[in-house]
Amino acid sequence: MTRTAVTSITSRPAGVPPPAPARRPFRDNPRLILAGIGVLLVALVAIVVANRSPRFSPDFLTEFVLYALSAADLTMLVALVFVLARNIVKLVVERRHALPFARFRAKLVALLLVMTLIPAMLVLGVGSELIRTSVDRWFNEPMDEILSSANQIAGDYYQERQNVVRDHAARIARTLSTVDLTNPDVRPIRDLIAPDVTTQRVQMVQVYRTAAEVGSLGQLDPVVDVAAPALPSGYSRAAADRLAGQALGGARDTRSVETLGTSGDLLHAAAVIRAPSGHATGVVVVTDYLTGELAARSRRMTHAFESYNQLRVLKRPLTGVYLSFFLMVTLTILVGASWMGLYIAKRITRPVQMLAAAAREIGAGRLDQRVEAHGYDEFGQLVDAFNTMAAELATSRRRVERSTIALERKHLEGEARRRYTETILERIATGVVSIDAAGAITTINTAAARLLSLDRSIVGQPAKTVFERTDLEPLGRLLAGAGRAKTEPAAQEVAIAREGQEVHLAAVATALVGEGGAADGVVLVIDDVTPLIRAQKVAAWREVARRLAHEIKNPLTPIQLSAERLRRHFSAAPPPAKALVDECTTTIVGEVESLKGLVDEFSQFARMPSPRTVPTDLAQLIADTLALYDGLFAHVRFEKRFAPGLPLVRLDGEQIRRVIINLVDNAVEAINRQGHIVVEAEHDKANNLVHVVVADDGPGIPLAERDKLFLPYYSTKGRGSGLGLAIVRRIIAEHGGSIDVGDNMPSGTRFTIELPC
Amino acid sequence: MTRNLLVAILLASGVFVHAAEPPDLSVTPIARDGQVFVSFELSDGLTSEVQDAIQSGLATTFSYDVELRHGSAAWFDRTVAALTITATVRFDNLTRRYQMSRTLDGRVEDAQPTEDQDAMRRWMTRFDRVPLSATTSLETNGEYYVRVRARTRPHNAWFVWPWDRASAFGHAKFTFIQ
Repeated sequence: MTRTAVTSITSRPAGVPPPAPARRPFRDNPRLILAGIGVLLVALVAIVVANRSPRFSPDFLTEFVLYALSAADLTMLVALVFVLARNIVKLVVERRHALPFARFRAKLVALLLVMTLIPAMLVLGVGSELIRTSVDRWFNEPMDEILSSANQIAGDYYQERQNVVRDHAARIARTLSTVDLTNPDVRPIRDLIAPDVTTQRVQMVQVYRTAAEVGSLGQLDPVVDVAAPALPSGYSRAAADRLAGQALGGARDTRSVETLGTSGDLLHAAAVIRAPSGHATGVVVVTDYLTGELAARSRRMTHAFESYNQLRVLKRPLTGVYLSFFLMVTLTILVGASWMGLYIAKRITRPVQMLAAAAREIGAGRLDQRVEAHGYDEFGQLVDAFNTMAAELATSRRRVERSTIALERKHLEGEARRRYTETILERIATGVVSIDAAGAITTINTAAARLLSLDRSIVGQPAKTVFERTDLEPLGRLLAGAGRAKTEPAAQEVAIAREGQEVHLAAVATALVGEGGAADGVVLVIDDVTPLIRAQKVAAWREVARRLAHEIKNPLTPIQLSAERLRRHFSAAPPPAKALVDECTTTIVGEVESLKGLVDEFSQFARMPSPRTVPTDLAQLIADTLALYDGLFAHVRFEKRFAPGLPLVRLDGEQIRRVIINLVDNAVEAINRQGHIVVEAEHDKANNLVHVVVADDGPGIPLAERDKLFLPYYSTKGRGSGLGLAIVRRIIAEHGGSIDVGDNMPSGTRFTIELPC
Repeated sequence: MTRNLLVAILLASGVFVHAAEPPDLSVTPIARDGQVFVSFELSDGLTSEVQDAIQSGLATTFSYDVELRHGSAAWFDRTVAALTITATVRFDNLTRRYQMSRTLDGRVEDAQPTEDQDAMRRWMTRFDRVPLSATTSLETNGEYYVRVRARTRPHNAWFVWPWDRASAFGHAKFTFIQ
């Protein structure tokens, strides 16, 4: 058997055990409600049926049935108003809170109410009018006339018979007024009253005399009674005794009717027997008998009349009972319709609401939300499907979360690696330029930008365009040929001009291969090998100088000695010859001395010792060195610009002093001993360097010659060994620094030395 | 507009239709011989509706709730004594006699028949020197009053509001002087 119970759905987080099944509220239990309505209807029907029973008094109708029905009506009305008001208030509140299905529920309830209200009100109106009309039709003139007449006839008949009996009683009392009622012999009395009985004028005569002793029948003693044989058995003297007592007591009404049930009625009449003197001597009670059938018919006529009139008297409460009952049924229908509307709406909307709420919860990320269903109807299946979906979503989400965590971890690792690589790329002196498969530059590090004199904004531009620049053409060709060689690419030395100086780069272009072997771009790696080249040149020059010194110095001494021997030999020669010899030997010795000096310089260049560095006050060192020039050149103005807070620098004082002197000498020569020479010193905290600048306002050095300035045996002065700046560069290089030459503004040359702190 | 509509609805519902003027109930308390007696009469108590009910043979009962109360300005009035008197009549249309009875707090005090309608009227509506309380329970110079509430059963209730609306009330004050 398919269970079609009410689907009770509650939302609860997954994993929480379902609560014990709660007792369903009354309003959610249609069986209970139907049973309640049934009991109510049965009770009302029972009341109405019972009210028809003669055992219930009219008070039961007017003070119980009508009250109960009216109370039920009022209760129903209050319930209906409450249900509607509550629904309206709920609708307003739910609409304000934009809760779903509020309008739908209200519409459904309103529809059911309207569907039932109109026919119910019509039925109520028509039925009420029918009841009123029907009740009014109970009472009409002919019926009034018939029943009144019947009652009148029966009453008149009884009255007439009672009057006759009363007259007989009075007549017999007068007859007995002269009879001694105290005489024990009652035969005379019997003889007097017997004819009335035997002639059936009356059915019974009972004679009482006033009591001789107190306590005997109140005040009367029975004397004699004569009864006709037609009298039914079973009557008692009590009624006659009581009536006799009342008559003797002076009661105005001395008649009574004694009902013998189905046997008929006895009509009693009493009369006081008075002696001629006027005092009461006794009482006579005369009884007539109405047969059972006659009495019953009379009773029925009277009863019909009374019932009819009672109905008329109770017409209003009776009508009220019917109308109340009818109204109650109508209100029951309306309340039932309202309740049914709400119930159906809830049956429909509540599961959907719960599903919507749970869906919102799940949408908000709370995937452990579940909907609990009691029932196996379509909603139950829907809830099951929803719960399954939520569980799968939760599982998928947990899986995704785990994957996300792993991915994030990998991403962080990758990011760290990327930052690490970027940091390395940014910090290393090797330049790296990456180009994607489309030929656009994707990255360029600081070293590459510096080496290639490129701005980093070229990222995204086509590499072909960037490397079309004249000085970068060799690199462009290198990039173009990347990936063509089947072997590992070898570094190629490329010389490019930068700010008038030749820069030697070792460049390698490596083609990137993506998954599947497709070309994925090119990476260009460049190293500035200019210092290396220079060092190689210096080393070569040192070797040349060493050999030159060795090869030249050795024959100089024999040459000098031979020249001096020739001079001594020809000292005694004639003056012209002696003069010629002296001149020649003097020239030879002088040139040999000159060659010795040159060889000494070369030798010194070749055997320059390693610097012995100690922390030194560089400013003081420079100032002391410049002090050597005080007064030497009248037209040269020396200016010192030392930034405050120069740190101590580890250096070899003698070597640096030689550097300064060399540079200042060159500057004095450049300005032709007339001009302005500035020596600066400042601290580069960011790079932990000290900059020393020697600048002059001379004519400057052409760009083409700047690269050769620091080469040995190169001089722009046309004299000297040409080793001065080569030695300067070597000293500075031995101190871990660098020296560069540039233009001074507005004119002149500017040598810049960088020394590490 | 709204007021008129409300009045129309109330009239249609019959609320005012049977709000008849209740009959007058005169009350006379007397303190004699150590007893408080009360006499009261329900004038016009036998309305045509009640007479119709009686003549239809319905057992008709006039119920009187009599209370002797001591007034209090600061608190609720105190009930010194109370009793319920009922007078019942049933008319037999066949014999044209009224069978009457009276009870005092549920105890039958008297019963008698009569053919006289006036006697029946007096029986139902007039009560003389009904003993209510002993004067020993009264305070000298105390202000008292006797309150009588009369009800009729069966009453001709209306379905819209069946609850009794036609009870008659009467009360009389007196100062107990010993």
